[in-house]
Amino acid sequence: MSTDPILDCPLDQVPEGPEFIEAAMRWHFSPETGSPFWLERAKTLGFDPREDVRTFEDLRRFPNVANELRDVRVEDLIPRGYGPDADVIGVYESGGTTGPPKRVVLLRDWLERLMHRTQQGLQERGYPESGHWLALGPTGPHVFGELVRWQAARRGGIRFTVDMDPRWVKRCIAEGRGDEAERYAEHLIDQSTYILETQDVRVLVTTPPLLTRLARRSALVELINAKVAAISWGGAHMDPDTRYLLRTEVFPNVKLYGTYGSTMILGGLAERVVPPEEDLVIFDAFSPYIMFSVVDQETGEAVRYGDRGQVVMHHVSKSFLLPNNLERDLATSVAPPPGQLGDSVADVGPLPTFENETVIEGVY
Amino acid sequence: MDELIRLDALGAGGPYHSRSRLTITELTGTPVAELSLVPRLFVQRTMAALREARTLPAHERATALARSGRLFATGVVDGIPAEEYQHIVSRVSGMPITVVRSATAGIGRRAGEAYRTTRYARPQGAVDDWRDPLTRNGQAVWTRRGDVFAVHAAGNHPGVHTLWLEALALGYRVAVRPSRREPFTPHRLITALRESGFGDDQVVLLPTDYAVADDVIRDADLAMVYGGEEVVNKYGNDVRVLPQGPGRSKILLTGHDWESHLGTLVDSVSAFGGTACVNTTAVFVEGDPAPVAEAVAERLSAIPSLPPEDDGAVLPVQPVADAHAIEKYLLDHVNGATPVLGGDGVVDDLGDGSAVLRPAVFRVDRPDAPQTGIELSFPCVWFAPWSRADGVEPLRNTLVLTAITDDDGLVDHLVEDPSIRNVYLGDTPTYLMPPWVPHDSYLGEFLMRTKGVIRT
Repeated sequence: MSTDPILDCPLDQVPEGPEFIEAAMRWHFSPETGSPFWLERAKTLGFDPREDVRTFEDLRRFPNVANELRDVRVEDLIPRGYGPDADVIGVYESGGTTGPPKRVVLLRDWLERLMHRTQQGLQERGYPESGHWLALGPTGPHVFGELVRWQAARRGGIRFTVDMDPRWVKRCIAEGRGDEAERYAEHLIDQSTYILETQDVRVLVTTPPLLTRLARRSALVELINAKVAAISWGGAHMDPDTRYLLRTEVFPNVKLYGTYGSTMILGGLAERVVPPEEDLVIFDAFSPYIMFSVVDQETGEAVRYGDRGQVVMHHVSKSFLLPNNLERDLATSVAPPPGQLGDSVADVGPLPTFENETVIEGVY
Repeated sequence: MDELIRLDALGAGGPYHSRSRLTITELTGTPVAELSLVPRLFVQRTMAALREARTLPAHERATALARSGRLFATGVVDGIPAEEYQHIVSRVSGMPITVVRSATAGIGRRAGEAYRTTRYARPQGAVDDWRDPLTRNGQAVWTRRGDVFAVHAAGNHPGVHTLWLEALALGYRVAVRPSRREPFTPHRLITALRESGFGDDQVVLLPTDYAVADDVIRDADLAMVYGGEEVVNKYGNDVRVLPQGPGRSKILLTGHDWESHLGTLVDSVSAFGGTACVNTTAVFVEGDPAPVAEAVAERLSAIPSLPPEDDGAVLPVQPVADAHAIEKYLLDHVNGATPVLGGDGVVDDLGDGSAVLRPAVFRVDRPDAPQTGIELSFPCVWFAPWSRADGVEPLRNTLVLTAITDDDGLVDHLVEDPSIRNVYLGDTPTYLMPPWVPHDSYLGEFLMRTKGVIRT
């Protein structure tokens, strides 16, 4: 069975949603082309995706299989249709917040597609045409650093890295060793200082907590304002007040754009370009490949535009299928741009907590 | 209330209306205010600004404090007259209105006295200025241990906000993280301080999410943190932090004449609605505590259940669910104690979503019973037997101990014990806090140090 051309459609074209979904289902669930993982999993789905899943809405029929990606052999995740010589860029893992990490395989054709989209986005947002990039964030098993490497290379720059191991940070905090996490984070800032001081870094890619930490050092803030043209943040939430302060007070001359995504959907998407007075971060989907739904936390039903709910992410491409991956983020559901499948999401963040827990004893 | 009161953060650049806000509700669940919560980045930058700020000269500080006290207690601050402020605090915190009124007046008075009260803590050998002629032969000069002081405030009683005024009087720049339960008082007080001469970068209000709370302390030189046992455990070893932990105030009653002290006992338990750290939570009686407990219970049971804004209200009010949670905690911890009052429950539903917490009196059968350490935010007291053979041990770990006794030898031991922070003698209620008497040592002892200066 040959590949449906719609799955390999030219990078600058957007395939029709239903037609694409149908082709993807045929690909992932035909014995000749599907991955051993999905072909085996299909036996217990209770429906035939090739018959029963024809639209974006139909993707809801799938269970969330993300947890199964903790144990599966990575070979079993590659669709057979790629043949024995699938062009594997690498295997990447989730952060490991909730148990052993989940694994995904990054194949070249998907990377090309994602990079094409990313380059369009960088162009649109006026990122510098040349100069180097500094990725202050997770590399190693995490896709974050890898994607920055490709972005930098596409724009003729070099990616410098300061590696952060998020699992170690989470473990320190979980075990009540906040001072150790603190020391580690300061160590990362120290290392990024050496690079920023000596190299022509034009783009800084990092996480909101590290950006806040960078802002503690006024010499570093001056250096970034003098050298860096754009900051991309991702990997964690940025609350709207922090964003406002960064844009107006800390880095007034630097472009600041968020990215929202996840290892599990094999990518991240830049925030929508809106007039600065709108003061809202919205992420649109990369339809029909990466899509979002915002659902009620209790019922799982889609919320109305303007309401908040929990984010569900979907990845549908030739290289990989992962519908209904429930994230632990809350977001406001936003009407999508014309032609996009699923919702756009805004104001992504956790629930605010003022106190640690209810303490009854005592007068305070 | 048609429109929500806007409680902005008060940053170094002026009020900040944040995008992330917490709705403050009154007892029935009706929203009354929106409190701006600031993120870590805002905290960092504000604390850095405090560090950079100048300190007003001492006489200007004293003048500004006095002016702010008058404004706070009697004026219109941020569009809110004093009476309205008091009503809101009462309706949000459930504290009886008369308690809020006297706390308001108290804060006003203490602001006016703040500079003077810092003098009590200054060692006799120390002077304020290196220019003092005494330094010519060598002298101690009283100096600040740092420049920036942070407070994790409590919301149990507006009066907690009198103490840090002394830090301002001593020339510290001060950051206050308010309690969610009652942010109105620090917001009003800091606004009044700013209208009275303090700069925006000299005293700030930083309402934050729990996750950011520690940043306020980290970026200060010294800090004071209100809380229970957990706060003492967390910060007890940090020399930069002064924990204001449990009060566990007690009364010791020896001899046979307890009837004439009944008023003092009842008032010590129930003043301020029983919400303060200086409220008595355990009474140790030489001889049989039962008749004393019953007499106290009888007096406490006569207190009416009223909404907090009623002039006759004495008892605290909470949202019904919170009241039940406190009641459950109490009943879960009775653990064999004999109920004298409130053994069947303490919640008196007012029918509007709020409930009065009625007094509770229990008897335990030995002085070292663990229940005597339970401190709840309403009038709740544990009576225990005590004999001279039991000694000081059961009376330890106490903010205020009133000892009604003729035994001077015992008083010697009580005064010497480092875990008893104040000893009041005779018919003295535990809640007395005259400004010249230290509350938990003078704050100045923590904020200041002596420095040797010799001029030749």
